[in-house]
Amino acid sequence: MKLDQKSSKMLAYFTSQMVKISKPGMVWLAIAFVFILGGLYALIVQIIEGHIVTGMRDNVVWGIFIANFIFFIGISYAGALISGILHLLRVEWRTPIIRIAEIITVISTLIGPAYILLCMGRLDRLHHLALFGRIQSPIIWDVLAITTYLIGSIIFLYLASIRDLAALRDYPFKSKWRNKVYKILAVDFNGTPKQNRYLDRSLDIMSAIIIPLAVLVHSVLAWIFGMTLRPGWHSTIFAPYFVIAAVFSGTGVLIIAMWVFRKYYKLESYITKIHFNYLGIILMILGALYAYFTFSEYLTSWYGSETWEMEVLYKLFNPNEYWWWFFFAAIIGVVLPIIVILIPKFRNINSITAVSAIAVLALWVKRYLIIIPTLEAPLLPLQDMRPEYIHYTPTLIEWLLTFAGVALFCMLFFLFSKFLPILPVVKADEGNYAQLRKTAMKRVIKRKVKETEKKESEKIKDL
Amino acid sequence: MKSLYKHILIIGLVVIIAAGNVFAQKNKKKTTRISVEYVKDHNKTETLVAKLRVKEKRYISLNDAIVKFYSVSDTSVLLDKIRTNKDGEAIFVIGDNPKIFKDSLGFMAFEVEYDGSTSLKGSNKKIAVKQSNLEVSFFQKDTIKFIEVEANEIGGNNQTSPVKGLKVLFYVKGTFSLFNFAKEKTDNKGKIKIEFPVTMPGDTNGELTIVAKVEEDDIYGTVESMGEINWGIPVPLVKEKQRGLGDTDAPLWMVYTLITLLSAVWFHYLYVIFMIIKIKLAKRSF
Amino acid sequence: MANKKNKHSRRQFFSKTVPVAIGTIGGVGLVAQSCQQANNDEEKISLLSADGQLVEVNKSALTKVPYKPVPPDEARKGIPGKHFVMVVDLARCRNARKCVKSCDHHHQLTPDRPFIKVLRMQDNKTSAPYWMPKKCFHCDNPPCVKVCPVGATYKRSDGLVLIDNERCIGCRFCMAACPYSARVFNWGEPKHQDGDRPYSPETSIPSQVGTVEKCDFCPDMLRQNKVPHCITACPNGALYFGDRNADSVTNGSETVRLSTLLKDKAGYRYHEELGTEPNVYYLPPVDRSFPFKEAPEGQPS
Repeated sequence: MKLDQKSSKMLAYFTSQMVKISKPGMVWLAIAFVFILGGLYALIVQIIEGHIVTGMRDNVVWGIFIANFIFFIGISYAGALISGILHLLRVEWRTPIIRIAEIITVISTLIGPAYILLCMGRLDRLHHLALFGRIQSPIIWDVLAITTYLIGSIIFLYLASIRDLAALRDYPFKSKWRNKVYKILAVDFNGTPKQNRYLDRSLDIMSAIIIPLAVLVHSVLAWIFGMTLRPGWHSTIFAPYFVIAAVFSGTGVLIIAMWVFRKYYKLESYITKIHFNYLGIILMILGALYAYFTFSEYLTSWYGSETWEMEVLYKLFNPNEYWWWFFFAAIIGVVLPIIVILIPKFRNINSITAVSAIAVLALWVKRYLIIIPTLEAPLLPLQDMRPEYIHYTPTLIEWLLTFAGVALFCMLFFLFSKFLPILPVVKADEGNYAQLRKTAMKRVIKRKVKETEKKESEKIKDL
Repeated sequence: MKSLYKHILIIGLVVIIAAGNVFAQKNKKKTTRISVEYVKDHNKTETLVAKLRVKEKRYISLNDAIVKFYSVSDTSVLLDKIRTNKDGEAIFVIGDNPKIFKDSLGFMAFEVEYDGSTSLKGSNKKIAVKQSNLEVSFFQKDTIKFIEVEANEIGGNNQTSPVKGLKVLFYVKGTFSLFNFAKEKTDNKGKIKIEFPVTMPGDTNGELTIVAKVEEDDIYGTVESMGEINWGIPVPLVKEKQRGLGDTDAPLWMVYTLITLLSAVWFHYLYVIFMIIKIKLAKRSF
Repeated sequence: MANKKNKHSRRQFFSKTVPVAIGTIGGVGLVAQSCQQANNDEEKISLLSADGQLVEVNKSALTKVPYKPVPPDEARKGIPGKHFVMVVDLARCRNARKCVKSCDHHHQLTPDRPFIKVLRMQDNKTSAPYWMPKKCFHCDNPPCVKVCPVGATYKRSDGLVLIDNERCIGCRFCMAACPYSARVFNWGEPKHQDGDRPYSPETSIPSQVGTVEKCDFCPDMLRQNKVPHCITACPNGALYFGDRNADSVTNGSETVRLSTLLKDKAGYRYHEELGTEPNVYYLPPVDRSFPFKEAPEGQPS
């Protein structure tokens, strides 16, 4: 695999980073590991005792596990939509951020469904989904859509990494296992014109297919709620609302990840202010769209003021219940990012990252507010004597598992950056590709000329 | 101070009452109550149903206790000893038992007895009945449909004669219970003629069961007779919905949509995997 | 010559069914008492009788009623030609809670997770409060059945909605989908269960941890042509049960035509506008048999 000077320099830098873990990196790993151990403990407790150890009860049957599930599937949008669209549009500045986005997609699509499994009462009967699955159930739609999506995003990430894998295969590592693994994964890629053509075609196909697929996945997720007869869930705009919220949070996580890796691997010369600015503007536009959906959703149900709907709204707007959370999730978490990014004076790398973090956190809270207040407002009056049946409070077990998920996300992300350069090293040989296109065009022109010549000669014969 | 005395007084009272209860339970036997009923069902099976109960707070059934059945004339003849079932009932089938005495008017007298036990008092009950027959038949006159019931009693020398002024109740048999729709007394010929309740739903063929019943009559006891007729309004079997949201099989449009979407995506995946293989194969060509 | 009439047996139906519940436990208890002197050191078990009293019984004295419930596969088919409905006369309910107790007893439920709830309802500030016994509505268009990913909950041809807890994966989507909060979940290991009994969706016994349960209309009783336990347990005859096809319902002591009852008393179904088509009808609380009395402190609904 031939590399240009710039790529070789980058490769040398990243490979040196990949084979060692710095001190802050070790601390980070250790902290993540502790949280994961905490999650394992919680998981064992839950398996032994049953779901009684969670805060969920007969009215609030779903808790923060489901909120985490939507959250992680939501941030997976970063790779799917952002990198998919940027790739298709051949946006020049996409190169340094595209890999980070794709990794986010794969890891969060792996972790998200784990929360569904944690929510299941009988994990030992998972195979019943295959044995007795009914495709009328939105859960089956979800199972099919998420599996397809996960496999799609793995293929997409893999395709986009083949050039780097080939470069890594040819790099002399001290430990030979790396070269062996890279050799298998690089499928003998050498950058020949034919190989480049196949690879680029595959990438185009995958980025085109991953976009509608991602939209569908989050719509299906929204339909789990939308298909029920519950206030705050039974809404026709729920699918697009979820999609927008997902891209919004995905972009937020992408910005945070960019900031972290930029700091950790000192990538200031690759990931620049331009990238933060552009992504910030995308975040702002998505935030505005999200605000529009939020406003439309709550205005409609408030104006109609149906009793059952109002019960949920009352919970959200009541300062003693969820008002401050709602205020943070639906107003602060949206308005603040828009203002900070909109005004050039406020716009810099750190501020954009900070508001992204706020937006991501707000979006998690919003998922909580979508699920819990609705379940706390059943149609028939709640006349239970037990407070835990009326009001949901997540237990330590649930928090441990939640943090374990976040820690696992961070750890996998970090470990992945030790396996593949976090930025694409080898640039796609687009010049070469253009050359091919030119020769192809020449061939077509030649044929056309020949055909017309033939026709003309025939005409002459006829005459 | 005052309240302390009050407490002591209350505690003392409770102790006394409790102790009293303990002694009372040891010394006092519980009262039992036995009742007996003559029943002739629609199969013309005659039974004596004795029901045994014990007084706790209220009367509750006593099971697994032995009830003796006697035929009574000048002397009592033991017919059988039967254990009560879980409902506290001991059922004696009369049949053609030669031990049963019948007087010249056709009356049979019985006695049921429970001897009691170490903790329970005994009890007994007498009953006298006259055998009778009840027949249900159906006929149609012009467009009106009728149910007819004929009641006959059986005398001392087994000759039958119509019973007049006998109260008969008419029911439609349901899954769980009998629905009463008429009540009538027999005429001089021992007959009742009533109009059929035409608005009554039957089964899928319109078939329904009419039950005529004499209930706990002083002389004849409980006598039941049944007749089946297809005059009810047929209730068509509702065809089970196929391929609905709530059924096992999904609506077809859903199946097609799903297959189309999934196959479209997976086809592209396979194509891309095929391309990766091609990349591998194309390594040497420059 | 003539015998005195027994007033109790006048209420034909009642006498045949109610004492079954009381009689079994009471009878067993008494029999056990009489043989207590003989074997003093015999193993004893405590039983909860239908009226909520704890009775201590010698194990040997307990003659188990042979019962063969229908296996899960067969329980998917309804009883042919029937369509079961329930009618609740709100004017007759005084929150006696006998239905809840007998249901808990027969389904071996602990009082913390009953199938039946008696709710204190007040439609608006100016209207009068009333008690509303609520079971599963066994909807004809059941939202729970639609969303079940594995078909563990299903609709039968006789109108019943049942749960197969050997198939249930515990996702609780059905609970989220049910607008009437009819379902309960086994959050922990279920208590007080007769594990020896073969499982049947028709008895909902034994319960399993991590699965959903609910009122099943006692199909094991229906197969024996008997009404569910709650119907006969109600001391006020507020609950009617029957077959919609035969147009007759009974509350244990009286049998009436369903159409007449609904017509005369303006029967309605709860939240008809949801389109779930429940099989439980309510008769409005007019001309009440009892004045409304608040529940005693600390009583669960």
